[in-house]
Amino acid sequence: MTDLNSYIAKLDKAIEKYIPSKNTPLYESLYKPKDLYRIPLDDAKKMQLKTIKHSFIHHYNNNKFYHNFCEEHSFSPEDIKTNEDLDKIPLIPDKFFKDYPDGKEFATWLANIYTGDLPKIVIKQKKPTYDDVIDAFNRAGIIVTYSSGTGGRHTFVPRDKRTFLNSEYILAKSFVTMMYPFWKYDSYGYLLMPNPRKNFIYAGKAVEVYFDAVKDVDVAIDRRVTTELISMTMGGAGGIKSKFVRYFAYKKSKKMIDDIIAWLEKHENTDHKITFVGAPYILYAVMEKLKKQGRTFNFGERGGVGTGGGWKIHEHKRMPVSDFRKEVQNVLGFKDKYILDIYGMVEGNGWMVHCPEGHYLHVPYSFYKPLVLDDEFKPADYGEWGRFAFLDGAAQSYPGFIVTGDRVRLLRRCPVCDRPGPVLEPEVKRAKGEDVRGCAEEVRKMLSSDLGS
Amino acid sequence: MLSVREIKEKQLIPQRPQLKMMIGGGLALSKTLLVSLGELKKLRKIPSNSERYNRPNRTYDLKKYESTMKSFMSHEKYLRPTLWCDPTEPEVIALAHQLGAYQKSDREFAEAAFEFVKEKMTLEILPFNPVSETIKRGTGTCIHLISVFIALCRAAGIKARYKMFAMNMIQAWYDTTVNVDPLIKKWYDSMGYFMIEGEGEAYIDGKWMVAHVGPRAERQAAGGIPVTKFGEDSLGNWFFAIPGSIMYMESIPIGLGGALRFLNKLAPGSMERVNISVQKQIERGKKIISQAGGIEPYNLTARKKKGPSTPELELRGKEQIVFE
Repeated sequence: MTDLNSYIAKLDKAIEKYIPSKNTPLYESLYKPKDLYRIPLDDAKKMQLKTIKHSFIHHYNNNKFYHNFCEEHSFSPEDIKTNEDLDKIPLIPDKFFKDYPDGKEFATWLANIYTGDLPKIVIKQKKPTYDDVIDAFNRAGIIVTYSSGTGGRHTFVPRDKRTFLNSEYILAKSFVTMMYPFWKYDSYGYLLMPNPRKNFIYAGKAVEVYFDAVKDVDVAIDRRVTTELISMTMGGAGGIKSKFVRYFAYKKSKKMIDDIIAWLEKHENTDHKITFVGAPYILYAVMEKLKKQGRTFNFGERGGVGTGGGWKIHEHKRMPVSDFRKEVQNVLGFKDKYILDIYGMVEGNGWMVHCPEGHYLHVPYSFYKPLVLDDEFKPADYGEWGRFAFLDGAAQSYPGFIVTGDRVRLLRRCPVCDRPGPVLEPEVKRAKGEDVRGCAEEVRKMLSSDLGS
Repeated sequence: MLSVREIKEKQLIPQRPQLKMMIGGGLALSKTLLVSLGELKKLRKIPSNSERYNRPNRTYDLKKYESTMKSFMSHEKYLRPTLWCDPTEPEVIALAHQLGAYQKSDREFAEAAFEFVKEKMTLEILPFNPVSETIKRGTGTCIHLISVFIALCRAAGIKARYKMFAMNMIQAWYDTTVNVDPLIKKWYDSMGYFMIEGEGEAYIDGKWMVAHVGPRAERQAAGGIPVTKFGEDSLGNWFFAIPGSIMYMESIPIGLGGALRFLNKLAPGSMERVNISVQKQIERGKKIISQAGGIEPYNLTARKKKGPSTPELELRGKEQIVFE
């Protein structure tokens, strides 16, 4: 068996273009440690302080709205001396990224939340839609990714190329590390999300690295999913056009399930390694269909799954992660240790991944600081339930110091495995009063909610 | 009779997003009614032996109008009379004076008008009427109440306008205004949003300032949200605008009044159920505020729970963004 250092070195070779820039704190805290989850705590603390402080100074100096926000809170870079001081960094509620105007002002809004120098962005339309503006930014090298709540209000986050590559590198390295020694480039993947090469919806876009980390990747939703289409399929728009769109989405989804089953059949009697990455809901629908047909597969150690984005399988039903793993073991024959969930969000670049031993969500603590806030939004102790917040040292194009709408419990270390860093309880929920969201939930709604029944 | 020019100038014709939403809402309502004819028959009127809505007594006295009271007659945009909002009505002028018109600064007067409408008047779903009637009655839909606020500002020489949008809302609001009537619930759920909601805006010191006069402090307490002040938006607090739906207008557009009248004819029981629920919400809120020790202590706790403040973002044009 390959040792972990050589294993990660191989991954780095496959995804070389994503590696953080040299001579930066992020390079030291993200690229250099081979196993992100086994960095000795004292070393990780130093890296965390250096990386997050560096990021804070960058946003403080180059982002007008955040600078003003910090001044309102009487907080400046000089106030950061220890890791504990990081907790005082002014946090931005995630709602901030949902409060945007439309038309030309949307472009101005994006430009105003962006940290640093913008390239020239040309918008040709007189009354640009959100998609027109996103396309214009993308042509200029800024990737505006988005996600949405069930109300159809998107969260828009502008990422420069560097921030986007950071996010993808972190995702690949975090997942592959936890899957050790499963990963190899010469394998086959199925992305259960919209094609990232055609889309900006974060459900999928962040997984573009999958195409470089794995030799052959198929995509479940191989079409452009625009903000307008999301609005129509998620019920945010009425009218005949929306009904047609929803009907065709439903029809295509049925075919998608058959295509995935055919793909499984193709790899069944080979020695190929296969992985699924994306919305659990789609794989759940595949397994439901196989169960109805009385069929199972036995991929054993050759199969792996990385899920993300939420666990709703029907409009009113949420599936426990552990039940999902059992289903994958029973129907596809994959091993429990290779069925891992990943937790992340459009506003952040850190990805928390299940450990194979206990399925707790491990935090990449060398450049990313997780916080749990109590009812009064003050940092709570380890072991308390509260609202998830984070300080993200990998965000360069927007301040990644954010309070989310997710309810979590943070533990000082994993109760099951021997990795030293902090973990979140396996299941993340939405805090009271927040709308339902999650990229898998978006995909579920897009595909029509009856697929799995 | 208004001329075509006036209709256009005063923005009486619904704007495109509003037209789209009204058509969408109309279609969704038709579908809801068609598939729920039996329910409609059962629910359209509340049986006499069931709980009925009793309009609350007006909680304020009104000063009598005197012809010597200074008033502001203008044909200027945002100051002149518009549909269902006439700042030259005697009751409006009298109330404006009662609240300190021409004695206070623009901001102080707008704040007084805001506090009065928001905290002294009560939400009641009913068809549109002139502002003077709303003032005499003390109740109205959020658009009635916004019209009172706008008329008072205009009567004091302060420009004021409507801000309309389609929205969805926090669960507590949904439970008291939507979930209380099966027909309204079906209608709302079929669209995923409510097609029209609004706020007022007053032009103070060179800036449009928002005024959401719809909910009294008690209703906000019952919903678990802070008691908002002049300048604080409902959007992002308990309402969330559907992207692209926010419109600014001088007047309530033609057609909205007719739609409300039609709904009132079609399902008066549904409106009554919402009104009953609003009264209950106020009672619940009263208890919550009293348990907290008053509005201020309640508000302090609610604001802490609401979370950290959101950064202010001033939209400044950037030379790198080129519109061709």
